[in-house]
Parts: sequence; structure tokens; C-alpha cells
Amino acid sequence: MRRTLTTCPYCGTGCQFYLVTNGEGKLVGVEPSSNHVVSKGQLCVKGWNAFNFANHPDRLTVPLVRKNGNLVEASWDEALDLIATRLKEVQDAHGNDSVAFFSSAKTTNEENYVMMKLARAVFKTNNVDHCARLCHSSTVAGLAATFGSGAMTNSISCVEKADCILVTGSNTTEQHPLIGTRIINAVKGGAKLIVADNRKIRLANFADMHIRWENGTDVAFLNGLMHVIIKEGLADEEFIRTRTEGFDKLKEVVEEFTPERTAEICKITPVEVEKAARMFAGAERAMIIYSMGITQHTHGVDNVKSCANLAMLTGNVGKEGTGVNPLRGQNNVQGACDLGALPNVYSGYQKVTDDGVRAKFEKAWGVQDLPGNVGLTVTTAINAAADGTLKALYVMGENPMMSDPDQHHVRDALEKLDFLVVQDIFPTPTTKLADVVLPAACFAEKDGTFTSTERRVQRVRKACDPPGQARQDWEILADLARRMGYDGLTYSSPKEIMDEITRVTPIYGGMQYDRIDQVGLQWPCPNRDHPGTPVLHVGKFARGLGLFSPAEYRPSAELPDDEYPFVLSTGRCYFHFHTGTMTRRSRLLDREERFPYVEVHPDDAKRLNIHDRFPVMVSTRRGEVKALARVSDIVIPGHLFMTFHFEEGAANVLTNNALDPVAKIPEYKVCAAQIRGV
Amino acid sequence: MKRATTEQLRTFFASLQTEFDVYVPVKLHDGTRVLGSLSEGPLALEGGKIPQKPTSVFFPQFDKVFVVDEQSKFQMAGPVAKPIMVVGFTAQDLDCLEFIDKFFSENYRDDIYFNKRDGSVVVGVSGRCGKDGEFMKIAGGKCDIELIYDGERFVVQAYTDKGRQLSERLVAPDSEAPAGLMDALSRESDALPTDDEDTIDKASDLIRAGKVPEDFWDDIASRCIACTSCNLACPTCTCFEVYDRKQNGKMVRQRIWDSCQLDGFMREASGHNPSGRQMQRTHRRIHHKLAADVERWGHKTCMVCGRCDDVCPTEIGMKSVCKMIVERFS
Repeated sequence: MRRTLTTCPYCGTGCQFYLVTNGEGKLVGVEPSSNHVVSKGQLCVKGWNAFNFANHPDRLTVPLVRKNGNLVEASWDEALDLIATRLKEVQDAHGNDSVAFFSSAKTTNEENYVMMKLARAVFKTNNVDHCARLCHSSTVAGLAATFGSGAMTNSISCVEKADCILVTGSNTTEQHPLIGTRIINAVKGGAKLIVADNRKIRLANFADMHIRWENGTDVAFLNGLMHVIIKEGLADEEFIRTRTEGFDKLKEVVEEFTPERTAEICKITPVEVEKAARMFAGAERAMIIYSMGITQHTHGVDNVKSCANLAMLTGNVGKEGTGVNPLRGQNNVQGACDLGALPNVYSGYQKVTDDGVRAKFEKAWGVQDLPGNVGLTVTTAINAAADGTLKALYVMGENPMMSDPDQHHVRDALEKLDFLVVQDIFPTPTTKLADVVLPAACFAEKDGTFTSTERRVQRVRKACDPPGQARQDWEILADLARRMGYDGLTYSSPKEIMDEITRVTPIYGGMQYDRIDQVGLQWPCPNRDHPGTPVLHVGKFARGLGLFSPAEYRPSAELPDDEYPFVLSTGRCYFHFHTGTMTRRSRLLDREERFPYVEVHPDDAKRLNIHDRFPVMVSTRRGEVKALARVSDIVIPGHLFMTFHFEEGAANVLTNNALDPVAKIPEYKVCAAQIRGV
Repeated sequence: MKRATTEQLRTFFASLQTEFDVYVPVKLHDGTRVLGSLSEGPLALEGGKIPQKPTSVFFPQFDKVFVVDEQSKFQMAGPVAKPIMVVGFTAQDLDCLEFIDKFFSENYRDDIYFNKRDGSVVVGVSGRCGKDGEFMKIAGGKCDIELIYDGERFVVQAYTDKGRQLSERLVAPDSEAPAGLMDALSRESDALPTDDEDTIDKASDLIRAGKVPEDFWDDIASRCIACTSCNLACPTCTCFEVYDRKQNGKMVRQRIWDSCQLDGFMREASGHNPSGRQMQRTHRRIHHKLAADVERWGHKTCMVCGRCDDVCPTEIGMKSVCKMIVERFS
């Protein structure tokens, strides 16, 4: 037996545990870390089972190359030579930006850095992005605009120091279980809890107020709260005067959002608006926690800005127990953003459009002519593939066929590509379309770091060897770079990559491996002497003054009508993770939720003669899928909820590829649907 | 009776590694204490119970049951190559071990468990080596050897022939325990408060008398996030799930710790679940150990080790729940 301390591969909470390896080098269990600052000897069900997919027989173990229409086994040399040749041919024929790279929030910081460096230094394109586009791109844009830094302002430990917690668009006990339980414990300790979410999530059981607003009316609700706070003199005037700018504009915009108008838009009562406003503003320390329910809208950035406005209006930024706290959904989605797997920034959010920044990276990487144009996002790259302007795509550890909106559109787009490479740990609907499939190591088979939702950079450690010929992602990318004639991606270890990251990334300047050996550090951490930053914006915002950025209410892109009378919202369940590649291959997790399902309110079910656990068809303008009905008052009448874990009942066949104009995030939370029994 | 220092014990355990697969409390990379091999970290006998259930040495989270190869040849998991020696059971842990020995041997004998358990040597730890120096109850039996810490050294008390033979090989010069030491330690052990045990007893009586209403379980269950930690940390939880995977042409049957807090634990193939509500599952977790098992085995099967309370993120472990039951329904 051997135990290896590492970081959980599921949500962004950043729990640490020991992987247990037997004498044959196989993973056989998990033991919690007793002393970890976040997990404290506890784990959720996914954490306890995090070892169970690694040995699954479905693992990709050998490179595959498409020949005569079929994917057949190939050597690494053959596969990588083909990739190098084909990508070069595509770029020669159609220009550098005819190729795009999808990086991965499942892989390490070091691998994300290598991927973005490969795209920029070798292929000279900023077409590099990852699935943060689909979850928190609104946060990155919204909080960067208002505060100057697009990340969780506070630490997880702050939950227990808050007097009032507003949870909106986050099913925290299911998606970030050990943060959710801290909210429950905070309430037991006397904190007030407002849950603004139209699903009756577990936290609603503990809430002082559960506000079941209409999906997509977030801006109106938040503006309504601010209207009451200003009208009743509950705003923190000292904070507004000394720490912010743009208040007059905010006041003007929210003036129209009287409790009555807000209630009408949100389909709640004026009293709820007033009471929630007083509860939040009346607390000494009030905290906002949100997730996809805020971000995944065509007005996602406006939602995020409105959360920031509310926090600034009440002086709840820059101190413990407060803040605007987006919970990141994947183990390393924060890190993938931090390390520049985004089309507009290098690592540390240094802009590609800044001549000085480009010059700095050209010198550091020993290259010339780094591109200065902002590249394609995950969502616009798919659109570009569909319209024929994007010709080749390299996907590392993502599954757009399952995760992106409007699956038929994604399929059409991927099929139109001249060349598709997918590097992953399991076969997926996306690998089925690939020209080359490369087998990668999973989290348990590699060294590196992940950055948790609270900006904590933590070690990931190798507990066992990858299966067959599978290799660590950074090694594969480095090998490809060498074939493209670039030696600047040759490293001896992830530690060496991190050393380079610390030199070119100011917020990670003090993140050397010896410093984060046992307990990670929270960025910004600019140098070796810096203790890390548990709370952002203390005394001063990252951008200087906080900028009030008021938003008008805009309805969602596709609202119910006679033909499609329901609002369909999508998300995750507790037992599965994203496109199910890992959790559906973990025995207990798979057993818990085995079939695609759709939640429907009992009144609607009765009216439509739909029975619990019986099959139904859910359809939208994009397509239809079969699922089992789950008749439950967890949803309000007129609303449906589906998860996107199931290939055989893929919710993203149904979702709408309408994007936020700034963040380009799709509107997963609202589209018009119908349901019928089959 | 010998008294040994930690270093002398470390040398002793190391000397036994050729004939035993030795598991001892060790301190890992970040200070977490586990039952592991001496190569994994420094020996950490002090600090109280091991967070992970020590019975996992015999009943691990994941195990192979059998393999059927391409020629349909059946191969059952066999005995371990070397007998297991495990150090670090508390008095409560030894009660748990005694119970699961009984559980796994009655009616259907679990060979996979006994492949590891048979021939094993179990060493208890007690005395002044609890968390923050607290006194840990002396078991006084139920193991081969007990190491009872007197604040300076461990008194080595053997209870079985195997334990006596092994402890004779412990090299600890000039270490005879002074007269009266064991009596003093025993008195200290006997004087330990029994508040937690009393609370569990009272709660058991109240549950069995039907004094705990359904809405109480609803309230408790609303806090359960089905993390399953209570089951996975409990030394008397013995449930596992069995499943098959085809690997490299072979069909491998394996088993993995299961949890009665999961919906799938009791779900029927139709999808119907007689324990379909979290309330029923939470109730079951407590009722099983404090009421049903009293009927079946003649005693409760919570030995008050406290692990479920330590790992529960919402403070609804056995001790917490029983305390609420006694406060509300006595």
C-alpha cells in the first residue's frame, strides 16, 4: 500500500485526499486528509469514489488514427507526425487562425500553460479557450469590469464568518458539497440565509427566505433589492464615497425597479423584495454566493455585475465574511483561466492586445510575432467551424458534443472540420468524430497543480502509472511542439513548467512547489515572501475604485410560447459530473443516477398525464430527447430541469446556442420546451 | 511486563516485516495519521484513534472477489501472501472488530475477509496517548497485544499465546514496568467518563420505545448530503456493492464499500425504492445500530468510536443525533 496526497478532480472546492495504491500499482481507495484547510478530513460522495474510474476498462490506452473511416491503433510517432503535418497544411492553406485549441479545466495549471503557449508561440494563434466559456466567462468579464479581478473575492472559510448569505443560482450542497455544508452550519450558528433560486434545493430547507423567481429575471431582482436599499437609506455611504465610482448611474437605473415592478417581472411579491433587501443590507457582514444560475444567461455578465453592484452598495467587499463569491464548477477551471487558456489573455490575465505584454512573452518564450488579435472562444469556434472559417480543432480533455449547446449544431460544425484531434482519458461522443485520438493520463497519474475556487493553488501528485501508452497531457503537447520545430516547450517535469509560470505570471510569482507542498497558497501571490491573499480588494479594488456597472433587465433569448410552453433549465446532479465520462464509470455514482431524467412539477404532470419514472419526450426547436419523468415540486409549475450527463438523453440536444454578447456564454438556463408522455 | 519506547517499538515492528504485512499508525505528508507501513512516515502511536476505520485493513474499500479468464477458468481471491499485523486499535475499535468477526462468520462466511483476518495479529493502543494527551480506555483483551502508554513508555501487555511469543522478541532493556503501574493505569481507565456511552444507551432505549417521531428524522435528514462518510468511516459498517468489469479479456468481480445513505442501496429494479426518502435512510442508519441490531445480536453495534461525528460535514453523526434525541425526547 502507498498513499499519495492529491487534490480532488471534481468540483472547484479543492478538497485534498490521499489516493491509496496497492502493491500492483492500482488505485484501491481514498482516504481524506485530516488536516487540509478546506476538507478537514471530510469528503463528498464523489471524492470518496474518485479512484474508481481510473482503472475502468474503457480507458483510452493507445493513439488512434482514422483510416478508411475507422479509428485504428497507431504509434505515437505516427499520430503526432500526422497532427503536425495536417495542422501545418491547414495553416499554410487558410491562415494561422484557421486552427483552434480547446484546453481543459480538468488538466493541471502546467498543462493549461503549455497548451496556451503551444497555440500562441508555435501555431501563432490566440484561438485557445476552454470550458470556462460555458460556466464562468460571465464572472471573469463581469468582476473584471467592476472590481478589476474576475475571481472569488473571499475564501471558503469566510462562509462561517458571514451574518447573512445570499445564495443565488448555486445548488451548493450538490455542486460544492463541502461549501454547501458550511452554509448549513453557518445558519445553525445564527447566520441569515436567503436562497434566490426557483428550484427547491436542499439549502432552501434552511433559508430564512426562499425566493422562487422566474428563471432569467436575475437583473430585475438584484436591481429591485438595490432600489429598496437606496430608498430606505440602507446603503453603505462611506464605502460608496471612498471605494467606488459610478454610483449616480446605478441610482438612476435602479430607480425604476420598485418592489412592485420587480415583483411583476420576477413573478414574486413586493414584500419578498423588500424583506430580502433589508435582510441583506441589515447584516454586518453579508456574502453573495453564486454559480451557473447567474452566469449561464445571455445577460450573464449583467447578472454578475449586478451582484457586484449589490455588494459594493452595502460595503460588503474587502473584508472577511463578505464578498462576491462565484463557485467554480471544475477542479481547475480557475487555474485554466489563470494560466491564459483564454483567447484574450496570457497567464495572469495579461492582455494579448497589449504590445508590452506581447513583447514580454516573445522574449520569455524566445519567439517573434505573437498574434495581437483576440482569438475565438469555445462557442464562437464551433460557430466558425460550422460556417467553414475554422478548419482544424485540437481538443484536450473536453467533450463539446455533450457540453456545448445545441448538439446538432456542434455535430455539424465538427463534421465540417478538415481535421479534428481529441486528447482524452475515455472515448466520448467527441472522440467518435476525431481524425486522431490521443490517450491521456488522468489526475491520479500525473504531477502538477490545480487552482481551487478560492484561488488556492494546490499540488496534484502521481499515484499510479497511466494505462497502456497513455501519457501526461503536457508531455504530448511538448512532443507536438518539437515536431513543429519549437524546443521551448521541452520540460523535464511539471515543476520546471511552474518555475517558468512564476517568472512570467505576476499573480503566481510566489507559487513555487516547495511553498505549496502541504497547504496551497491563494493568488495573488507575487513573490516568494508573499503569504498569499485570502481576501481580495482589502482597502482598494484591483482596479482602484470599484465601478458600479448598472444593467437594465433584458428577457432571456427564448421564452415560452404556445408551441413550447415550458422553461427548460439544465445543470448537474450531485452524483454525476459534467458529461459523465468519469462518474458514469464509477460504480456507486453510476448506480445512483442511471438514466436521463427531467424534473416536472406535479401540477404539470397531472395535467399532461405524465407519471413518475415513466418515459417522456422533451423537445425544443433544436431537437428532442427521451428521459424519465421525475415528478417533483423541486421545480415550479411551467419549468423543467434536466442534467447534461447522459449521452443517451443529451440535454444539450435541446439547449439554445444564444450567447451573452460580451462573455459568449450560452443560455443554458432558459429555453422554451415542451414535454409529452411516450 | 515490558515497557518500550516508541523507537524500540518501531524497531520491533520493523523486525517483523519479513514475516508479517505490518500496518502501524504513521504520520503522512500533511500530518494525517493512517494505518500504513513504516516506510510511509514516522510511527505515530500517540494522537488517539486513527481517523480511518482500522477494520479497513481486513475489509478494504475495494477488493477483488474473483476472476474468470478467457478460458472460463475461475480464480477466487486467495489468502494473503503474509499474515497481517496491525497496530493501533483502540478499545472501541476492538469491540468493533469483535463484532465484524462475528458478522462476517455467521451464516454466510465471508472468505475474502477471513483471507486477511485469519492468522493476523492485532495490537491495541491505549493509555495516555489520546488526542491532546487524553487517556484512552484500556481494552484489557480482545487483541493479541495491548500497548498501554504511561506517559513515557508503552507497557506491553500480551493477551494471547501469539502475542506473548511475539512480545518476547521485543528488545527493551531495563524496562520492566514498576510494581503498581498497571493498577494505577487500570484505575485511571476505569475512572474515564462514560457520558457518550450513556447518551447512546439512552437514545437506543428511546428509539426502541418508539419515542422518536418521524418529523425528527425528517429534520436530521434534511441536513444529510449523502456524502456517505458516516458509513465509510464506521468500523462496524460492513455493506459492500458487488460489480463486474471486463478487463483485458478477463471478467473481474470486485466489491466496494457501499452506503445505506444512498438511494441505490435499496432501490428495486423497477425503480421503486422502499427506502426512497432520505428520511428513511437517515432513520435506518441510526435505528439499525441502536435498535435492530440489539434485537438481532443482543447488543448495539455502535461502539461509540466517534468517527462518524468527525467526518460528518453537517454534524449529524451518531453522538450528535443521540444527544439531540435524549435532549428532546427523554
